[in-house]
Amino acid sequence: MGSPPLFYRWSSKIMPWLGILAIIFLSAGLFWGLLIAPTDYKQGDVYRILYVHVPSAILGQSIFMFMAACGLINVVWRAKISGMMLKSAAPIGMSFTLIALVTGSVWGKPTWGTWWVWDARLTSTLILFFIYAALIGLYSSIDDKTKADRAVSILSIVGLAIIPVIKKSVDWWQTLHQPSTFTLTSSPSMSPDMYQPLLLCVIGFYLIFAFTLTLNLRNEVIDRERSKNWVKQIFVN
Amino acid sequence: MLLQGTDLQILTQPLLRFDMKSSVLDWLGIILKRDLIIAFRRSSTYITPLVFFLIVITFFPLALGPQESLLSSLAPGVIWIAALLASLLAVESIFSEDFRDGSLDDFFISLEPSFILVFAKVMIHWLITGLPILIASSLAAIILYLPLESFVPMILSLLLGTFFMSLLGALGAALSIGKSAILSAIIVLPFSIPTLLMGTSVVTFSLNNQDYSGFLMMMGAMLAIGIPLLCLLTVEALLLNYD
Repeated sequence: MGSPPLFYRWSSKIMPWLGILAIIFLSAGLFWGLLIAPTDYKQGDVYRILYVHVPSAILGQSIFMFMAACGLINVVWRAKISGMMLKSAAPIGMSFTLIALVTGSVWGKPTWGTWWVWDARLTSTLILFFIYAALIGLYSSIDDKTKADRAVSILSIVGLAIIPVIKKSVDWWQTLHQPSTFTLTSSPSMSPDMYQPLLLCVIGFYLIFAFTLTLNLRNEVIDRERSKNWVKQIFVN
Repeated sequence: MLLQGTDLQILTQPLLRFDMKSSVLDWLGIILKRDLIIAFRRSSTYITPLVFFLIVITFFPLALGPQESLLSSLAPGVIWIAALLASLLAVESIFSEDFRDGSLDDFFISLEPSFILVFAKVMIHWLITGLPILIASSLAAIILYLPLESFVPMILSLLLGTFFMSLLGALGAALSIGKSAILSAIIVLPFSIPTLLMGTSVVTFSLNNQDYSGFLMMMGAMLAIGIPLLCLLTVEALLLNYD
């Protein structure tokens, strides 16, 4: 798994399956969620944006955890592939966070009457987005790719340590300024008809992440190893 | 050349000392002494952040209007934002000079722990930006009509917060050596949000006569974890330049 040619061959086999599974789960989840699931008696059909919003918010956070784990592996064991993984995951995580923010504010307008609230969760998601931006900005500023990987790894470790602190402090700050007016989704109160498609969507989003990550990573591997023999062999034949 | 005579001796001293008898604290003292002399020879290093801080503070009443009640309620946030920005102003210079003239190479070649080097650099940065800001913050508090009772919590929170900012700033500087100064600021700013939130909460709580000690303890805890973690990561980041 560690060596680029091995990864490339291995991922060629696994990638179509990832793609097919992602399509199955996503289409099933979205079809069920958007068309079959019952309409919410308070919010109407607007609530259905949840089937995109919640999975992307979950993904935005767990991709960061994934990146920080890659960063730790890269700093401690100097495994090159984990650095590439970190780099390939960053834009995906940033996009999911952006999707969560945008769908959240589209959802907020009809239900809360405003595009944006300084709610604790919204604020920490916005900060997460800025942290992604900082990581990507740092990566693009360093020309040597292995160095850039290590630099981003170091910064992502700081992120891992500081994200719980950010969440906690935003919670305290929010309760200081205003009583918590809204809670986003509370799953216990959600009926199983609405919850099951959401679960499918979350799994589908994870699969989409795995698929795009593999695509990005293969691209990165080929790009960095383009002068190597095994790459030439693949593309000449 | 900014230095001559005895100063030059102090500067070259750490580079010549290879005897293993010197303790870690001696090493820390030598670096601190050397860097303080360099900083004081060029007064802009400690005056620029200070002036920047005061100018930013002055802009808020000019932009928002001079009403006393408005300004005193905004004072905690205004002072904290100005302090954050001012302490990031000099971040780029933490390592860049030593990197350019090769002193950093010598530090790493010497057998002394590089962790101490980074810690000394952070302390120097705090001494030339954080400490002047700390002193000037009382003046800023008067300008912004902050009640006298809130002075102590403000200074305590700034004391802990600016040191944490220096730690973060050192990491940002190490990651972006030779790049633009604005890059290191952008890298560091999202990570400084907890400090900002807790620092302003301390002052706001004291304005409302509430107990603020919990936030101070959290800031202290962040500092206690941050000193070893961030210094080690900064060493790792500096070593990136010596592959």
